[in-house]
Amino acid sequence: MATSPFLSRRAFVVAAGAAGLTALAGCSGKSSNSDPNTLRIAVSKHPLTKPISTMEWPKQLEKIAGVKIQWQEISADWDQKKSTMLAAGDVPDLIVGTNAITNSDLGTYRTLFENLADDLDALPNVKALFAAKPQLKSMATLSTGEIYSVPGYKRFWPTTVTHQYINKQWLDRLGLKVPTTWDELFTVLVAFKEQDANGNGDKNDEIPMDWSPVGTGGFGYFQPSVLLGSVGLPIAGGGGQGYFLEDGKVGNFLVDERYKRVIQFIHRCYAAGLVSKNVMTQDYSAYQAVGRGSGKVAKVGFSWGWTASDRFGAELADQYVAMAPLLEKAGQTTPVAWSYDSNSENFPSNQIVMSAKTGNKQAALKIINAFYDKEMSLQVLWGDLGKYVKKVSDKEYEVLPPADPKTDPSTWKWTVTIADAGPTWIRDDIEVKLPTDLDEAVEQTKPLQAALENMDVKKDVYPFQFIQMTPDDTNQLALNNTTILNGTMTKFAEWITKGGIEDQWDKYVQQIQSSGLQKNIDVYQRYYDEYVKTH
Amino acid sequence: MSGTYLQSKGFFRNRTPGDVVFMLALGAICVAVLFAVIYPVYFVVIASVSNPSLISTGEVWLWPKGISFFGYEQIFNDDRIWTGYRNTLLYSVVGTALNLVVTIPAAYALSRPEFRPRRILMLFFVFTLFFNGGLIPTYLLYRDLGLLDNWLVFVLPSAVNVYNLIIARAFFEHSLPKELFEAALLDGVSYLQYFAKVALPLSKAIISVIGLYYLVQHWNDFFTGLVFVRDNSLQPLQIVLRDILLSNQAFAGGAGTGGGSGVGYDQQYADQIKYGVIVVSSLPVLVLYPFLQRYFEKGVLIGSVKG
Amino acid sequence: MTESLVAARKPVAGTRRRAGLGLGRHVSRYWQLWLMVLPAVGFIALFMYVPMYGIQLAFREFDFTAGLTGGKWAGLKYFQQFFDSPLFWPLLRNTFVISITTLVVGFFAPIALALMINQIAGGRRKKFMQTATYLPHFISIVVIVGMLQAFLNPSTGLLTQVFAFFGLDEVNLLGDTSAFVPVYVISDVWQHCGWNSIIYLAALSRVDPQLYEAAKVDGANRLQLIRHVDVPSIVPTMVILLILTMGGVLNTGFEKVWLMQNTLNLPVSEVIATYVYKIGIFSTQFSYATAIGLFNTVINFVFLIAANAIARRVSNWSLW
Repeated sequence: MATSPFLSRRAFVVAAGAAGLTALAGCSGKSSNSDPNTLRIAVSKHPLTKPISTMEWPKQLEKIAGVKIQWQEISADWDQKKSTMLAAGDVPDLIVGTNAITNSDLGTYRTLFENLADDLDALPNVKALFAAKPQLKSMATLSTGEIYSVPGYKRFWPTTVTHQYINKQWLDRLGLKVPTTWDELFTVLVAFKEQDANGNGDKNDEIPMDWSPVGTGGFGYFQPSVLLGSVGLPIAGGGGQGYFLEDGKVGNFLVDERYKRVIQFIHRCYAAGLVSKNVMTQDYSAYQAVGRGSGKVAKVGFSWGWTASDRFGAELADQYVAMAPLLEKAGQTTPVAWSYDSNSENFPSNQIVMSAKTGNKQAALKIINAFYDKEMSLQVLWGDLGKYVKKVSDKEYEVLPPADPKTDPSTWKWTVTIADAGPTWIRDDIEVKLPTDLDEAVEQTKPLQAALENMDVKKDVYPFQFIQMTPDDTNQLALNNTTILNGTMTKFAEWITKGGIEDQWDKYVQQIQSSGLQKNIDVYQRYYDEYVKTH
Repeated sequence: MSGTYLQSKGFFRNRTPGDVVFMLALGAICVAVLFAVIYPVYFVVIASVSNPSLISTGEVWLWPKGISFFGYEQIFNDDRIWTGYRNTLLYSVVGTALNLVVTIPAAYALSRPEFRPRRILMLFFVFTLFFNGGLIPTYLLYRDLGLLDNWLVFVLPSAVNVYNLIIARAFFEHSLPKELFEAALLDGVSYLQYFAKVALPLSKAIISVIGLYYLVQHWNDFFTGLVFVRDNSLQPLQIVLRDILLSNQAFAGGAGTGGGSGVGYDQQYADQIKYGVIVVSSLPVLVLYPFLQRYFEKGVLIGSVKG
Repeated sequence: MTESLVAARKPVAGTRRRAGLGLGRHVSRYWQLWLMVLPAVGFIALFMYVPMYGIQLAFREFDFTAGLTGGKWAGLKYFQQFFDSPLFWPLLRNTFVISITTLVVGFFAPIALALMINQIAGGRRKKFMQTATYLPHFISIVVIVGMLQAFLNPSTGLLTQVFAFFGLDEVNLLGDTSAFVPVYVISDVWQHCGWNSIIYLAALSRVDPQLYEAAKVDGANRLQLIRHVDVPSIVPTMVILLILTMGGVLNTGFEKVWLMQNTLNLPVSEVIATYVYKIGIFSTQFSYATAIGLFNTVINFVFLIAANAIARRVSNWSLW
């Protein structure tokens, strides 16, 4: 009882304090959008990236534009943040980040953004970029002529991101050859499983085949969807939501007979115990860690990845060789294909947008223009000039290896700059000595080159990147796709692990069709036809 | 209820064989529960200092293997973490103080049966447990109040948690001895006086429980920083830690979604940082808890003497 | 301050006769109680009720250019769209199964734990047990799911190996559709059971020791003590928490379900919350998302009202 007055008095003090703070909030909380000497730039950057204040190039931007830049660095849950910000109409002066603002956002929230079509004269670099790469102009321009965002050009990325690898050391140890068909692959994988392929004395620790986690939203890189190439079905970006272009006709492989054959083959492998048991349930870091084996002992025989050193770690990379696409059957007449990813990698879309209500439009334009400068682009992509990129001459640059020897070049790049998230135009007429990871990726694309060349870029690769749709169409596609993928991705997993595709296929196709698939295909076809007419 | 146990006569007074069996069973269950609870937590701790590849391949179970403090180095070399700690501490302390000052008196008022508007007031509160305007109107409101990018956004909107209000009210209804109120009545004490001098001192147990609930709520609050704050100097620990965590995971989806082609990132230390982050983010609250626990017991003591 | 509780007491008797008292007398009698409750009312009114106009988004087309409340009136279109969706029944079923199981198990487990901890003799051991069991509460969901993945890994997971030892070979609990709910619920109980028992322990700590003594004198054994002294003392708390949980009948932990989802378990793991997220955030269908959210809320609210009405009859206690 004795302590009670004390307690209540203390509580009262706190309450009074809190009330005072509330009053303060009214004064201090105003964020000014009106100060013309400060630009607010939100950047959707990678969490690995150091604070922008540690970089040099942003200071150059400030100097060029003659303003102070207040960076809002967002590296987590961008989608969540963005949707609130946009719906509340609260946009900073500029938003930087590849596809940070998507076409669908630009449709729904058009009035929030500045139409840059009539400002191109103030953007000489962007104008020159559009002249040099006309497809970028069409990528940025709506059918009605407005330009709300500027895309970029990264030039050096290989045509595909997904490369195919097999452990050559295992093959040699078991006296086997690099397989060229599905049946040969099957035989090799069985040998991997049954024998002590990695030679550590344990016959059971080999995982013959593994792939990256397939999400519920569709296919991506490093997934068995590339086996669709064996049956001649051309895909882009790893497969995505299944839509593909073949000889000018849009389809969706999720209901294609050839997809069925691929699933049947993978199920055959799975049923024989040749696929990692965890393949459907592991997360990305588990998938990566397993690929790196332990010490000098590899665990995975056949898999897909960006580069051998990334996929299997520096220590094991030498054991693996990059492979050409497999044939479905020996001597087949259907030409093989692969996943064509060059568009999404080399032509990143929507890299920068401007608020329609910016307090200092001239400065904002200057900054957009400055991003697309020759040297600025190099710095944004690989880091500050002098420190991370060496200037040999006006036409020659060298990306320096990581200063931290424990780090690989990609990690390094993402650490020291906003890298691929930033607006970039890498000129075609300069020479750049690339970091080793990019070199390696280009090198390991070579076995796939023939298959990629079998694909007619105009008729076999859907130009997703270069097409601007109306918001209504975008919404319809998204809504139907949510329903479609909900059914297809679960069946994908079920058929591979448990089988049963033969009996369920017809009913499945019927069900997917009734979820609005044909409507979506028609929309994609319509836009493609229009696109072809103008290009 | 007092009548029921009167029927069970004829048992020994002190340790019966039944008691022994009971004790043994209790001990066994406790050990099992403890193991189930502590082992995974222990695993997190050893995982935070073990070689991540060995963890993913399932070789670390009992002892840390391939000891490395890389994860902790990464976490503590990040300046943001100290800002995060300071911010979270501020938000938690100020926030919890405000919470208690607002919630406890309200709970008391709502517990008085003769206070007739209390039914409608309760409905007024409970309704908001279910219906809310959604994120966008809330965002607009905060913007108009100047709460965006303002530290008070961590404190003011969450001043009342209706669940806690209900629990506190129930406590006042059930656990305050009615005789005390009757006695105070005769002394001509006002509500405020009764609340301050009688109800509060008897309520230390509930105040510490509710305080703990609020404290942990603030400590773990992650959504507020996520949506309403873009100024990194204001971000709480959870957001900072999540950023650090995500440095290791973003490529998982990133590689597949086009755009960023950071597919070359070295994943190796992802897990280690992840486990380090749990330890770093949970430790302070864990340390604090035993101190609060003492209050529980004090509350008991006073309650039983007076009751 | 002049008003004493003596005065306050009268209206209790008075109300039985007449519907109420005049506003002036009411204020003069209860202004102190009003003073105590008003700050809470103010905060809730401002931060919860003011934004509520946003609910109408469920009945309008979301049209950014027209403002939040300016979109075209769509009536029940979005509700209809949801009911007609092929995903409606699976979503409802999955949500219901997950949440009901969590509610039931998650309701009783903390009670059992609290009664057990309360039995432990010796302050230190008791405290240790209590502190240990609430530990997992602080682990973030991301990590919990990561741990599940490590422990249940079909080739290397510790639990998988334990199951294999008992002859349950080749199980992948992470992907099995019939394992999803148990894994979800058990890990949930594991994480929150200790924490949720705190409130019961606080109630138990207030039991008058004389009651135990009296019961012991009457020859009650330990189990009888629990049944006849401990349990009755926490019944009020149980009732409150039960009512409150009933109001969450269609609530599932969004983040955890989201993180646990994979292509194998999606048939049972797609719930309303994850679907709304996909629709609202990824497809910018705010109206649709709001409508589904509102549907969810109304169902919950109905359950709460029902639970409250039952509680009022049975236990003479109610939320309002």
